[in-house]
This record gives sequence, C-alpha cells and structure tokens, in this order.
Amino acid sequence: MQKHTFTISLFAGIFVLTALAQFGVINQYLQSVIMLMGVNIILSTSLNLVNGYMGEFSCGHGGFMCVGAYVSSVVTVLLFSKNHILGAPLLPPSLALFAFPLALFAGAAVAAVAGLVVAIPSFKTRGDYLAIITLAANYIVISAIDNMEIIGGPRGFMGMNATVHGMEGLLDIPWMLLWVLFGTVFTVWLLRRFVTSTLGKGVPAIAQDEIAAEIMSVDTNRMKLIAFMLSSGLAGLAGGLFAHILGYVNPHSFDIMKSTEVMVMVYLGGMGSLSGATLSAVLFTVLLEVLRPLEIWKWVVIPLLLILLMQFRPEGIMGNKELSDLFPKLKKYYSFK
Amino acid sequence: MNTLLEVKNLKVRYGNIEALHGISFKVDEGEIVTLIGANGAGKSTTLLSICRLPPPEAPRVIEGDILYKGQSILNVPPHKIVSDLNMALVPEGRRIFGNLTVDENLKLATYARTDGSEAVDRDFERVFTLFPRLAERRKQRSESLSGGEQQMLALGRALMSKCSFIMLDEPSMGLAPLLMYDMFRTLKVLNQEGMTILLIEQNANLALRFAHRGYVLDTGEIVAQGSSEELLADPEVKKAYLGG
Repeated sequence: MQKHTFTISLFAGIFVLTALAQFGVINQYLQSVIMLMGVNIILSTSLNLVNGYMGEFSCGHGGFMCVGAYVSSVVTVLLFSKNHILGAPLLPPSLALFAFPLALFAGAAVAAVAGLVVAIPSFKTRGDYLAIITLAANYIVISAIDNMEIIGGPRGFMGMNATVHGMEGLLDIPWMLLWVLFGTVFTVWLLRRFVTSTLGKGVPAIAQDEIAAEIMSVDTNRMKLIAFMLSSGLAGLAGGLFAHILGYVNPHSFDIMKSTEVMVMVYLGGMGSLSGATLSAVLFTVLLEVLRPLEIWKWVVIPLLLILLMQFRPEGIMGNKELSDLFPKLKKYYSFK
Repeated sequence: MNTLLEVKNLKVRYGNIEALHGISFKVDEGEIVTLIGANGAGKSTTLLSICRLPPPEAPRVIEGDILYKGQSILNVPPHKIVSDLNMALVPEGRRIFGNLTVDENLKLATYARTDGSEAVDRDFERVFTLFPRLAERRKQRSESLSGGEQQMLALGRALMSKCSFIMLDEPSMGLAPLLMYDMFRTLKVLNQEGMTILLIEQNANLALRFAHRGYVLDTGEIVAQGSSEELLADPEVKKAYLGG
C-alpha cells in the first residue's frame, strides 16, 4: 500500500482538482493558471530530455509546439466546427470526447516528424551549430504558418471551442483541465520511464562523450533520432492542449519568445532533472502571474532573476538531482523506477 | 591458429594528409599482439580506423581492407562493431563517463547485450574479482577515482560488453609503474582465459615483454615485425625504442 502512495495521491489530486473546478471552488482564472502550468510542465520536461539529458542546445521548442497546436486544431475544427474554408462539421459533437485524444495524438505525431528537421542534422552537427539549426526550424514553422491563408495566416486560427463544448455537452465537467492533468502525468511518466530504461541510458552517454558512447555500442544516431522526436512530439502534445485551452492560436505565440520561456524553465529547474523541470515550470507560471501587474516590465524582471540564478546557482534549483535523491525517504512512497 | 583480425595494405587519410601509407598486420586468435612506435607513428590512427569512430575524429580509409574473421568490416558502423562482432576498445584517455558511478559505467557497457541478466551478473562478478578496487567503489562517481582505477574501469567496461577481442590504446599512460604492472598482469590472465588482445603502447619495453608478437610502426609504415624475443633482440629496435 505504502509503495503506491504516490500514484494514489497523484490520481486523488487530479480528482480533487477536477471536483473543485466542477463545483466552482476554484474560479476560471485559477483553472486557466493550473492548465497553463500543466502545459509548461510538459514543455519544460520534454525540452529537458534534449537540453538537459542529451546535453544539446535546442532553442526551437516553440516551433514544435506550434506544429502540434495547429495540426490538432485543424483536425478538431475539421471534425466539429463550421469553418468557412474547411466546411461543415464532419462528425456530430457527441463524438468529440473520443476524437479529441486522437486529434492531440495527431498533433504530437506530426510534431515528432517535424522534429526530424533537427534530428537529422544533429547526426553531424553539435553544440552551437545545432542550436542555430533549431532556431532556424522554429522560424521555418512560424513563417510557413504565417503564409498559409487557409488556416488564417498571421490572423490566427480559431473554432476549437466547438470540440470543448461538444465534450461538455456529453458530460458537464471541466474536460480541458482533466485532459491537461492527464497529459502532464503521461508526459512525466513517459520521460521518466525513458530516461531510466536501458535504452534511455544512451542519452546521457551522448551528453558526456559521444565517442565513448559509440564504443559502448550505443547507436548514437538512433538515440538522437528518438530523443529529438520524443521531445518534439511531446511539445506538440503541449501545443494541442494549449490551443484547446485558449480556443485560439496565433503563430506568433510560438515564436522564439516562447522557446526562450521554455529554456528558462529548463535551466531554472536544473538540467537532467525531471522533478526540477516540473518544479520550475510551476514556479515560472506562478511568477508570470504574480508579476502580471508589472505588465511588460515583467520581461525585465524575469531575465534579471535568470542572471542572478546563473550567478549564484548555475546548476539550477535541483542541479541534476531528482527530488528523491535529495529526500531518499520519498522512495518509500512509490514503486516505479 | 585462426586469424582473427587482418589488416591489409591500409592507407588512411586525415583530410589531405596521409597518416598510414599501407600497413599490413594480423592478429591470431588467442594472441597478444602489440603495435609500438613513437608519437605520431600512426598507432592510434590504426585503432580508430578499425573501429571507424564517427566524425570528426574518423580517419578515412582510402585503400586496403580490414578483415575480421575473414569478413571485411570497413562498412560496419562503430556501434555494431561492439555489439555484433564482440570487439571492444579501451580508448586513449579512458573516456569513462565521469558523472556516472562505477556500477553505472559497467552497466552501460551491457547496453547492447541480449544474452540475459544472468550472464551479465556473471560478468559483473568477474570484473569485480579481477579488480577488487572497483568493487569497493561501486557507488562512487567515476570522476572521483584515481587514474589507475579509472583505467581499471575502462578495461572492466570493455569486459562487460562480452568481447572476445580487446584493443587497448596506451593503457599505461599516466599510470604509476606499480599500477602499470598490475594492469598488464590482469591482461595476461585474461589472455590465458582465451582473450585476444591488440595492444598499442609507447612503452615498448613493457609491451614486448608482455606480448607474443609485435609490429614497429614509424611514420605510417611498419618497419619491423616479429616475435617479441626477436624484436627485443633486434639492434635497430633496441636503439630506437628500448633505450640502447
């Protein structure tokens, strides 16, 4: 029983949060902050796989998020809303609940394929040069969508609310909150499984010494392919959730500014630490909300905090340790690796 | 005796510079063979060409062939050389994973093994019997080990990959004489258990005392070869590499 404490409390937490939202104990604003937190956790943990565990410097995470957001939005709009270009809804709204996860998955899958744009050059390019490639990938995605009139171009794309309403029509509970919570748990679970698996050990091996990894029979090209695609796929999942939380997407919400935000979360939390990335995503989201009264000045304060962090604790909040390394007693409460 | 590794007329280039001008040598099963020579003679290049390590370090083979058990391995990618051909490389400078513990380093070497955890456990036992010092430091981060212990770890790691052929690049580098002899004694034990060893060494005296046969490399060419006794007695070799 004790070994499952963590898992049980996790699901109990999801249940309680959903119930609180359902009965109006936490208002819409708080709900959206919580959902944003979830999306940020997905983004920072997935980027941590590449920037933290694999030691590369990817600064185009927003681009993959954008791909996921647009693909899943187009799928749900095509299926459930009336759109002047994509036409009448193809399916009745009662199917929204079942189609939504598939749409999210489609977004993640296409984003993973988009990850190839970075993964393939990474075979021969490393470090700063690869960073420039990731930056270019981000720009390519944004500019491509900017120029696609069919999905709104620079004006953005909307109509995703119909799907959310469809789900609410079936059963009136805060579905998006539930999906975000599940998506977050799924992402952290998947990444945790991956980096602790034998296969996943190849990732930190690449970070340390690519040649040594190769003579330990790690197929470095394959590992990079897996890591980049997994990371960008999960960013796509975050994008899909984000798009359906807001009900509106604009290519410029995923530009280099977004990628920077995600990087800040990774370096704030500590490279190579999933609990660090989770913690910092939560802190960062809260910080953004707390500093909201400062308006645009918050973008002076937050980078300043980052400078101070790099000066006084360059390894981030957690270093490359997990919470369970700092508090070994926590290990009693879960049985998974 | 079966020939395990055969290098035929190997010419290798780094960019426009030819580093090996057509060298040939072979290693028989169960043998210890050493390549000796001064700095820049092409010893490490030879090993890197056999393993085909990824760019930018990879030297480019422009002529000749490398046969392993009679098959050309020029087109085998490096990670397959370890996993499919059971060769292992203990690279120059050890290249252990400093932020991993001793245990984790050894475990990483079993990355591509498919022969089950029992065989892996047996190999763990074997490595810790050969190197009791490593057993004492299993949970320690390997960057905190001494140079000698790191070298043991590099060799232990090679053993964990289920190899029957080990290539060592300057294992004595930076080791105290006592540790150096220990290392070579261990290699001798491994050889008696059937391991084939290709050893690259600057310390020609030590290498020839330990190996069955040797080749002397000089600026990309093999200038002398023979059994260790012959080379140790060769006046030219004596003069150039053994200090008179």
